[in-house]
Amino acid sequence: MKAADFSYHEAVNLQDAINIKAQDDEAVILAGGQSLLPALNMRLSSPTCLIDISKISGLNEIKIEEHTLFIGALATHSDVMSNKTVKDNMPYMIDILKMVAHPAIRNKGTHGGSIAYGDPAAELPALAVATNAEIIVSGQNGDRSINAKDFYLGLFETTINQDEIVVGIKYPLLKQGQNIVFDEVCRRHGDYAMAGLIANVMGSKNDIKDLKLVFFATGDKPDVADKTAELYLDNGYDYDKLKNSLSSEIDFAGDLNSSSEMKLHLATVLIKKVLSKLEI
Amino acid sequence: MAANNSVNISFTVNGERFNNINVPSRQHLADYLRSQGFTGTHLGCEQGACGACTIEMDGKAVRSCLVLASQANGTNLKTVEGFDDEMMEKVKQNFLKHNAFQCGFCSPGMLMTTKEILLNKKKLTRDEIRSEISGNYCRCTGYQSIVDAIEECINEIN
Repeated sequence: MKAADFSYHEAVNLQDAINIKAQDDEAVILAGGQSLLPALNMRLSSPTCLIDISKISGLNEIKIEEHTLFIGALATHSDVMSNKTVKDNMPYMIDILKMVAHPAIRNKGTHGGSIAYGDPAAELPALAVATNAEIIVSGQNGDRSINAKDFYLGLFETTINQDEIVVGIKYPLLKQGQNIVFDEVCRRHGDYAMAGLIANVMGSKNDIKDLKLVFFATGDKPDVADKTAELYLDNGYDYDKLKNSLSSEIDFAGDLNSSSEMKLHLATVLIKKVLSKLEI
Repeated sequence: MAANNSVNISFTVNGERFNNINVPSRQHLADYLRSQGFTGTHLGCEQGACGACTIEMDGKAVRSCLVLASQANGTNLKTVEGFDDEMMEKVKQNFLKHNAFQCGFCSPGMLMTTKEILLNKKKLTRDEIRSEISGNYCRCTGYQSIVDAIEECINEIN
Protein backbone atom coordinates (compact mmCIF):
# COMPACT_ATOMS: atom_id res chain seq x y z
CA MET A 1 0.00 0.00 0.00
CA LYS A 2 0.96 3.63 -0.28
CA ALA A 3 0.96 6.21 2.49
CA ALA A 4 -1.97 8.64 2.79
CA ASP A 5 -1.25 12.27 2.01
CA PHE A 6 0.69 14.41 4.45
CA SER A 7 2.79 17.52 4.27
CA TYR A 8 6.55 17.32 4.74
CA HIS A 9 8.76 19.79 6.50
CA GLU A 10 12.53 19.52 6.66
CA ALA A 11 13.42 21.10 10.00
CA VAL A 12 16.40 23.44 9.83
CA ASN A 13 17.16 23.15 13.53
CA LEU A 14 15.72 21.73 16.74
CA GLN A 15 13.81 24.91 17.63
CA ASP A 16 12.15 24.91 14.21
CA ALA A 17 11.00 21.30 14.72
CA ILE A 18 9.73 22.04 18.25
CA ASN A 19 7.77 25.09 17.05
CA ILE A 20 6.01 23.17 14.29
CA LYS A 21 5.26 20.20 16.51
CA ALA A 22 3.82 22.50 19.19
CA GLN A 23 1.44 24.06 16.65
CA ASP A 24 0.15 20.86 15.06
CA ASP A 25 -0.93 18.06 17.38
CA GLU A 26 -1.16 15.62 14.49
CA ALA A 27 2.34 16.27 13.22
CA VAL A 28 4.80 13.43 13.69
CA ILE A 29 8.59 13.49 13.93
CA LEU A 30 10.46 11.64 11.20
CA ALA A 31 14.01 10.59 12.06
CA GLY A 32 15.16 7.37 10.34
CA GLY A 33 11.60 6.36 9.55
CA GLN A 34 12.26 2.62 9.70
CA SER A 35 9.22 1.99 11.92
CA LEU A 36 7.20 5.03 10.86
CA LEU A 37 7.35 4.41 7.09
CA PRO A 38 5.95 0.84 7.30
CA ALA A 39 3.15 2.20 9.51
CA LEU A 40 2.46 4.96 6.96
CA ASN A 41 2.66 2.57 3.98
CA MET A 42 0.19 0.23 5.68
CA ARG A 43 -1.96 3.22 6.69
CA LEU A 44 -1.82 2.30 10.35
CA SER A 45 -0.89 5.91 10.89
CA SER A 46 -1.95 9.02 8.94
CA PRO A 47 -0.38 12.18 10.38
CA THR A 48 -1.07 15.61 8.88
CA CYS A 49 2.57 16.53 8.70
CA LEU A 50 5.97 14.85 8.97
CA ILE A 51 8.69 16.93 10.53
CA ASP A 52 11.97 15.55 9.23
CA ILE A 53 14.64 16.09 11.89
CA SER A 54 17.22 13.82 10.26
CA LYS A 55 19.29 16.67 8.81
CA ILE A 56 19.61 18.61 12.08
CA SER A 57 23.29 18.62 13.01
CA GLY A 58 24.67 17.81 16.44
CA LEU A 59 22.02 15.28 17.44
CA ASN A 60 24.04 12.16 16.71
CA GLU A 61 26.79 12.58 19.25
CA ILE A 62 27.96 9.60 21.33
CA LYS A 63 29.99 10.44 24.43
CA ILE A 64 30.73 9.67 28.06
CA GLU A 65 29.11 12.19 30.38
CA GLU A 66 29.07 12.04 34.22
CA HIS A 67 29.21 8.23 34.60
CA THR A 68 26.76 7.74 31.76
CA LEU A 69 27.02 6.91 28.10
CA PHE A 70 25.08 9.52 26.16
CA ILE A 71 23.72 8.48 22.76
CA GLY A 72 22.32 11.31 20.64
CA ALA A 73 18.85 10.66 19.22
CA LEU A 74 19.94 10.71 15.57
CA ALA A 75 22.79 8.21 15.92
CA THR A 76 21.81 5.31 13.67
CA HIS A 77 22.00 1.74 14.93
CA SER A 78 24.96 1.25 12.57
CA ASP A 79 26.67 4.35 14.04
CA VAL A 80 26.24 2.97 17.57
CA MET A 81 27.43 -0.52 16.61
CA SER A 82 30.65 0.78 15.06
CA ASN A 83 31.38 3.36 17.77
CA LYS A 84 34.50 2.80 19.86
CA THR A 85 33.15 4.53 22.98
CA VAL A 86 30.16 2.16 22.92
CA LYS A 87 32.39 -0.85 22.29
CA ASP A 88 34.66 0.07 25.21
CA ASN A 89 31.95 0.98 27.69
CA MET A 90 28.75 -0.84 26.74
CA PRO A 91 29.71 -3.83 24.56
CA TYR A 92 26.38 -5.56 25.26
CA MET A 93 24.63 -2.70 23.42
CA ILE A 94 26.27 -3.87 20.18
CA ASP A 95 25.05 -7.45 20.70
CA ILE A 96 21.53 -6.21 21.38
CA LEU A 97 21.54 -4.04 18.24
CA LYS A 98 22.53 -7.08 16.15
CA MET A 99 19.04 -8.36 16.93
CA VAL A 100 17.41 -5.16 15.67
CA ALA A 101 16.23 -5.81 12.09
CA HIS A 102 18.84 -6.06 9.32
CA PRO A 103 21.93 -4.08 8.20
CA ALA A 104 20.10 -1.92 5.62
CA ILE A 105 17.50 -0.94 8.22
CA ARG A 106 20.14 -0.32 10.89
CA ASN A 107 21.88 2.07 8.48
CA LYS A 108 18.87 4.37 8.62
CA GLY A 109 16.99 3.59 11.87
CA THR A 110 17.94 5.87 14.76
CA HIS A 111 18.49 5.23 18.44
CA GLY A 112 16.20 8.05 19.57
CA GLY A 113 13.54 7.02 17.08
CA SER A 114 13.32 3.52 18.50
CA ILE A 115 13.19 4.90 22.05
CA ALA A 116 10.51 7.48 21.19
CA TYR A 117 8.35 5.18 19.07
CA GLY A 118 7.90 2.87 22.08
CA ASP A 119 7.16 -0.33 20.18
CA PRO A 120 6.53 -2.92 22.91
CA ALA A 121 8.34 -5.54 20.81
CA ALA A 122 11.47 -3.43 20.32
CA GLU A 123 14.69 -4.09 22.21
CA LEU A 124 15.86 -0.54 22.99
CA PRO A 125 12.92 0.63 25.14
CA ALA A 126 13.35 -2.52 27.27
CA LEU A 127 17.09 -1.90 27.49
CA ALA A 128 16.50 1.69 28.59
CA VAL A 129 14.16 0.49 31.35
CA ALA A 130 16.48 -2.37 32.38
CA THR A 131 19.51 -0.09 32.69
CA ASN A 132 17.63 2.73 34.41
CA ALA A 133 18.43 5.10 31.54
CA GLU A 134 17.33 8.72 31.40
CA ILE A 135 15.59 9.94 28.26
CA ILE A 136 16.39 13.57 27.47
CA VAL A 137 13.66 15.50 25.68
CA SER A 138 13.68 19.06 24.43
CA GLY A 139 10.62 21.30 24.17
CA GLN A 140 9.39 24.88 24.32
CA ASN A 141 10.35 25.10 27.99
CA GLY A 142 13.82 23.68 27.47
CA ASP A 143 15.16 20.23 28.26
CA ARG A 144 13.91 17.69 30.76
CA SER A 145 15.09 14.25 31.72
CA ILE A 146 12.65 11.37 32.16
CA ASN A 147 13.53 8.04 33.73
CA ALA A 148 12.83 5.26 31.21
CA LYS A 149 10.51 3.42 33.63
CA ASP A 150 8.26 6.50 33.76
CA PHE A 151 8.54 7.21 30.02
CA TYR A 152 6.47 4.30 28.68
CA LEU A 153 2.76 4.41 29.44
CA GLY A 154 1.22 1.89 27.07
CA LEU A 155 1.05 0.76 23.45
CA PHE A 156 3.21 3.28 21.49
CA GLU A 157 2.35 5.72 24.26
CA THR A 158 4.92 7.78 26.16
CA THR A 159 4.94 10.71 28.56
CA ILE A 160 6.41 12.98 25.91
CA ASN A 161 4.48 16.24 25.47
CA GLN A 162 3.22 17.54 22.13
CA ASP A 163 6.00 20.12 21.82
CA GLU A 164 8.80 17.77 22.89
CA ILE A 165 11.35 15.76 20.93
CA VAL A 166 13.73 13.08 22.22
CA VAL A 167 17.27 14.43 21.84
CA GLY A 168 19.30 11.71 23.53
CA ILE A 169 19.49 8.85 26.01
CA LYS A 170 21.80 8.57 29.01
CA TYR A 171 22.71 5.03 30.02
CA PRO A 172 24.40 4.67 33.42
CA LEU A 173 27.78 2.96 33.04
CA LEU A 174 27.87 -0.52 34.56
CA LYS A 175 29.32 -0.85 38.04
CA GLN A 176 31.84 -3.49 39.05
CA GLY A 177 30.09 -6.89 39.10
CA GLN A 178 27.07 -5.65 37.15
CA ASN A 179 26.02 -7.47 33.98
CA ILE A 180 23.42 -7.06 31.25
CA VAL A 181 22.32 -10.38 29.75
CA PHE A 182 19.52 -10.89 27.25
CA ASP A 183 17.92 -13.10 24.67
CA GLU A 184 14.81 -13.24 22.56
CA VAL A 185 12.80 -15.79 20.62
CA CYS A 186 11.82 -14.86 17.08
CA ARG A 187 10.77 -16.75 13.99
CA ARG A 188 13.55 -15.40 11.79
CA HIS A 189 16.73 -13.49 12.60
CA GLY A 190 15.94 -9.78 12.64
CA ASP A 191 12.19 -10.17 13.06
CA TYR A 192 10.40 -8.64 15.98
CA ALA A 193 10.61 -11.01 18.94
CA MET A 194 7.75 -13.24 20.07
CA ALA A 195 9.17 -12.67 23.56
CA GLY A 196 12.41 -11.21 24.82
CA LEU A 197 14.16 -10.59 28.13
CA ILE A 198 16.84 -8.17 29.23
CA ALA A 199 18.22 -8.83 32.72
CA ASN A 200 20.26 -6.38 34.75
CA VAL A 201 22.22 -8.48 37.22
CA MET A 202 24.48 -7.62 40.11
CA GLY A 203 26.68 -10.59 40.89
CA SER A 204 27.72 -13.81 39.20
CA LYS A 205 25.78 -16.88 38.06
CA ASN A 206 25.96 -18.66 41.42
CA ASP A 207 25.75 -15.54 43.53
CA ILE A 208 23.19 -13.09 42.20
CA LYS A 209 22.84 -10.18 44.61
CA ASP A 210 20.35 -8.10 42.72
CA LEU A 211 18.20 -8.85 39.70
CA LYS A 212 15.98 -6.80 37.44
CA LEU A 213 13.98 -8.54 34.70
CA VAL A 214 12.53 -6.51 31.84
CA PHE A 215 10.53 -8.35 29.17
CA PHE A 216 9.61 -7.09 25.71
CA ALA A 217 7.11 -8.29 23.10
CA THR A 218 5.03 -9.54 26.02
CA GLY A 219 2.56 -6.76 26.83
CA ASP A 220 1.88 -3.19 25.72
CA LYS A 221 5.21 -1.75 26.92
CA PRO A 222 8.51 -2.92 28.44
CA ASP A 223 7.35 -5.16 31.31
CA VAL A 224 9.30 -5.04 34.56
CA ALA A 225 8.86 -8.19 36.67
CA ASP A 226 10.21 -7.34 40.13
CA LYS A 227 8.19 -9.92 42.07
CA THR A 228 9.26 -12.69 39.72
CA ALA A 229 12.89 -11.55 40.04
CA GLU A 230 12.55 -11.73 43.83
CA LEU A 231 11.00 -15.19 43.59
CA TYR A 232 13.94 -16.33 41.45
CA LEU A 233 16.42 -14.97 43.99
CA ASP A 234 14.62 -16.84 46.80
CA ASN A 235 13.88 -20.15 45.08
CA GLY A 236 16.03 -20.43 41.96
CA TYR A 237 14.52 -21.62 38.68
CA ASP A 238 11.17 -23.33 39.24
CA TYR A 239 9.18 -23.24 35.97
CA ASP A 240 5.70 -23.52 37.50
CA LYS A 241 6.25 -20.98 40.25
CA LEU A 242 7.90 -18.43 37.95
CA LYS A 243 5.21 -18.90 35.31
CA ASN A 244 2.50 -18.28 37.92
CA SER A 245 4.28 -15.22 39.13
CA LEU A 246 4.78 -13.82 35.61
CA SER A 247 1.14 -14.37 34.71
CA SER A 248 0.04 -12.31 37.70
CA GLU A 249 2.64 -9.62 37.14
CA ILE A 250 2.44 -9.07 33.35
CA ASP A 251 -0.65 -8.59 31.23
CA PHE A 252 0.45 -10.79 28.32
CA ALA A 253 -1.00 -9.73 24.97
CA GLY A 254 -0.98 -12.25 22.12
CA ASP A 255 -0.24 -11.28 18.53
CA LEU A 256 -0.30 -12.91 15.08
CA ASN A 257 2.71 -15.13 15.76
CA SER A 258 2.18 -16.10 19.36
CA SER A 259 -0.74 -16.33 21.78
CA SER A 260 -0.55 -14.80 25.25
CA GLU A 261 -0.21 -18.34 26.68
CA MET A 262 2.76 -19.01 24.39
CA LYS A 263 4.38 -15.70 25.31
CA LEU A 264 4.00 -16.58 28.99
CA HIS A 265 5.76 -19.89 28.39
CA LEU A 266 8.54 -18.26 26.34
CA ALA A 267 9.04 -15.53 28.96
CA THR A 268 9.36 -18.18 31.69
CA VAL A 269 11.97 -20.27 29.87
CA LEU A 270 13.83 -17.10 28.84
CA ILE A 271 14.61 -16.48 32.52
CA LYS A 272 16.61 -19.72 32.62
CA LYS A 273 18.16 -19.20 29.20
CA VAL A 274 19.23 -15.62 29.86
CA LEU A 275 20.61 -16.14 33.37
CA SER A 276 22.59 -19.19 32.21
CA LYS A 277 24.65 -16.76 30.12
CA LEU A 278 26.14 -15.22 33.27
CA GLU A 279 29.68 -16.11 34.18
CA ILE A 280 30.18 -18.32 37.22
CA MET B 1 3.91 26.69 7.74
CA ALA B 2 6.27 26.27 4.81
CA ALA B 3 5.36 22.65 4.27
CA ASN B 4 3.29 21.62 1.26
CA ASN B 5 2.03 18.30 0.03
CA SER B 6 4.72 18.22 -2.57
CA VAL B 7 8.33 19.28 -2.21
CA ASN B 8 11.14 20.33 -4.50
CA ILE B 9 14.30 18.35 -4.10
CA SER B 10 17.63 17.65 -5.79
CA PHE B 11 19.80 14.54 -5.77
CA THR B 12 22.09 12.40 -7.85
CA VAL B 13 21.22 8.93 -9.18
CA ASN B 14 24.08 6.86 -10.67
CA GLY B 15 25.98 10.07 -11.37
CA GLU B 16 23.02 11.74 -13.09
CA ARG B 17 21.92 14.97 -11.44
CA PHE B 18 18.21 15.56 -10.71
CA ASN B 19 17.76 19.27 -9.97
CA ASN B 20 14.81 20.90 -8.29
CA ILE B 21 12.29 18.22 -9.13
CA ASN B 22 8.82 18.24 -7.62
CA VAL B 23 7.76 15.08 -5.78
CA PRO B 24 4.62 14.31 -3.77
CA SER B 25 5.48 14.34 -0.03
CA ARG B 26 4.00 10.90 0.47
CA GLN B 27 5.87 9.20 -2.38
CA HIS B 28 8.55 6.79 -1.28
CA LEU B 29 11.89 6.76 -3.03
CA ALA B 30 11.43 3.38 -4.72
CA ASP B 31 8.28 4.57 -6.45
CA TYR B 32 10.00 7.76 -7.57
CA LEU B 33 13.04 5.90 -8.94
CA ARG B 34 10.85 3.40 -10.80
CA SER B 35 8.82 6.26 -12.29
CA GLN B 36 12.07 7.63 -13.71
CA GLY B 37 12.99 4.35 -15.39
CA PHE B 38 15.21 2.88 -12.65
CA THR B 39 13.08 -0.24 -12.63
CA GLY B 40 15.95 -2.42 -11.43
CA THR B 41 14.80 -1.31 -7.97
CA HIS B 42 12.13 -3.90 -7.20
CA LEU B 43 9.19 -3.53 -4.86
CA GLY B 44 8.13 -6.58 -2.92
CA CYS B 45 6.51 -5.77 0.40
CA GLU B 46 6.74 -1.99 0.86
CA GLN B 47 7.19 -2.50 4.58
CA GLY B 48 10.92 -3.14 4.88
CA ALA B 49 10.76 -6.92 5.16
CA CYS B 50 11.84 -8.27 1.76
CA GLY B 51 14.88 -6.16 0.85
CA ALA B 52 14.22 -6.18 -2.93
CA CYS B 53 14.20 -2.36 -3.03
CA THR B 54 17.59 -1.96 -1.31
CA ILE B 55 19.64 0.83 -2.90
CA GLU B 56 22.72 2.78 -1.87
CA MET B 57 22.28 6.20 -0.29
CA ASP B 58 25.45 8.18 0.41
CA GLY B 59 27.44 4.94 0.35
CA LYS B 60 25.16 2.94 2.63
CA ALA B 61 22.55 0.30 1.80
CA VAL B 62 19.02 1.44 2.65
CA ARG B 63 15.50 0.30 1.89
CA SER B 64 14.12 2.68 -0.72
CA CYS B 65 10.52 1.79 0.27
CA LEU B 66 11.29 3.04 3.78
CA VAL B 67 12.75 6.35 2.67
CA LEU B 68 10.57 9.13 1.30
CA ALA B 69 11.70 10.66 -1.96
CA SER B 70 11.72 13.98 -0.10
CA GLN B 71 14.22 12.58 2.42
CA ALA B 72 16.65 11.94 -0.42
CA ASN B 73 17.16 15.69 -0.89
CA GLY B 74 20.87 16.39 -1.23
CA THR B 75 21.93 12.75 -1.31
CA ASN B 76 23.91 10.64 -3.72
CA LEU B 77 22.04 7.49 -4.77
CA LYS B 78 23.11 4.37 -6.56
CA THR B 79 20.71 1.77 -7.94
CA VAL B 80 21.51 -1.61 -9.45
CA GLU B 81 21.72 0.07 -12.89
CA GLY B 82 24.77 1.94 -11.62
CA PHE B 83 26.70 -1.23 -10.82
CA ASP B 84 29.21 -1.08 -13.61
CA ASP B 85 32.53 -1.01 -11.77
CA GLU B 86 35.06 -3.83 -11.80
CA MET B 87 34.12 -5.19 -8.39
CA MET B 88 30.43 -5.42 -9.22
CA GLU B 89 31.17 -7.03 -12.59
CA LYS B 90 32.98 -9.79 -10.71
CA VAL B 91 30.08 -10.12 -8.27
CA LYS B 92 27.65 -10.50 -11.17
CA GLN B 93 29.90 -13.16 -12.77
CA ASN B 94 30.01 -15.08 -9.48
CA PHE B 95 26.21 -14.87 -9.14
CA LEU B 96 25.89 -16.26 -12.69
CA LYS B 97 28.44 -19.00 -12.06
CA HIS B 98 26.63 -20.26 -8.96
CA ASN B 99 23.12 -19.77 -10.37
CA ALA B 100 22.39 -17.22 -7.66
CA PHE B 101 20.08 -15.30 -9.98
CA GLN B 102 17.08 -17.53 -10.46
CA CYS B 103 13.88 -15.62 -11.11
CA GLY B 104 15.85 -12.43 -10.52
CA PHE B 105 13.36 -10.63 -8.34
CA CYS B 106 15.55 -10.45 -5.23
CA SER B 107 18.78 -9.94 -7.21
CA PRO B 108 19.02 -6.11 -7.13
CA GLY B 109 18.72 -6.17 -3.35
CA MET B 110 21.06 -9.14 -3.01
CA LEU B 111 23.70 -7.42 -5.17
CA MET B 112 23.36 -4.23 -3.14
CA THR B 113 23.80 -6.14 0.12
CA THR B 114 26.74 -8.08 -1.35
CA LYS B 115 28.38 -4.80 -2.26
CA GLU B 116 28.08 -3.58 1.32
CA ILE B 117 29.51 -6.88 2.61
CA LEU B 118 32.50 -6.57 0.26
CA LEU B 119 33.14 -2.92 1.11
CA ASN B 120 33.45 -3.89 4.77
CA LYS B 121 36.29 -6.21 3.64
CA LYS B 122 35.63 -8.68 6.41
CA LYS B 123 36.18 -12.40 6.05
CA LEU B 124 32.83 -13.97 6.91
CA THR B 125 31.76 -17.53 7.68
CA ARG B 126 28.78 -18.96 5.81
CA ASP B 127 26.62 -18.38 8.89
CA GLU B 128 27.75 -14.76 9.03
CA ILE B 129 26.95 -14.34 5.31
CA ARG B 130 23.45 -15.68 6.02
CA SER B 131 23.05 -13.21 8.86
CA GLU B 132 24.22 -10.32 6.60
CA ILE B 133 21.67 -11.23 3.91
CA SER B 134 18.93 -12.01 6.45
CA GLY B 135 17.13 -8.84 5.37
CA ASN B 136 16.83 -10.00 1.75
CA TYR B 137 14.22 -12.58 0.95
CA CYS B 138 14.70 -15.05 -1.90
CA ARG B 139 11.82 -17.40 -2.68
CA CYS B 140 13.63 -19.53 -5.31
CA THR B 141 17.16 -20.52 -4.54
CA GLY B 142 16.94 -21.68 -0.94
CA TYR B 143 19.84 -19.20 -0.43
CA GLN B 144 22.50 -21.91 -0.83
CA SER B 145 23.63 -20.69 -4.26
CA ILE B 146 23.59 -17.05 -3.14
CA VAL B 147 25.75 -17.86 -0.13
CA ASP B 148 28.10 -19.79 -2.48
CA ALA B 149 28.39 -16.76 -4.77
CA ILE B 150 29.00 -14.28 -1.94
CA GLU B 151 31.53 -16.62 -0.35
CA GLU B 152 33.50 -16.76 -3.59
CA CYS B 153 33.39 -12.95 -3.89
CA ILE B 154 34.74 -12.60 -0.34
CA ASN B 155 37.50 -15.13 -1.01
CA GLU B 156 38.50 -13.26 -4.17
CA ILE B 157 38.98 -9.90 -2.46
CA ASN B 158 40.75 -11.29 0.62
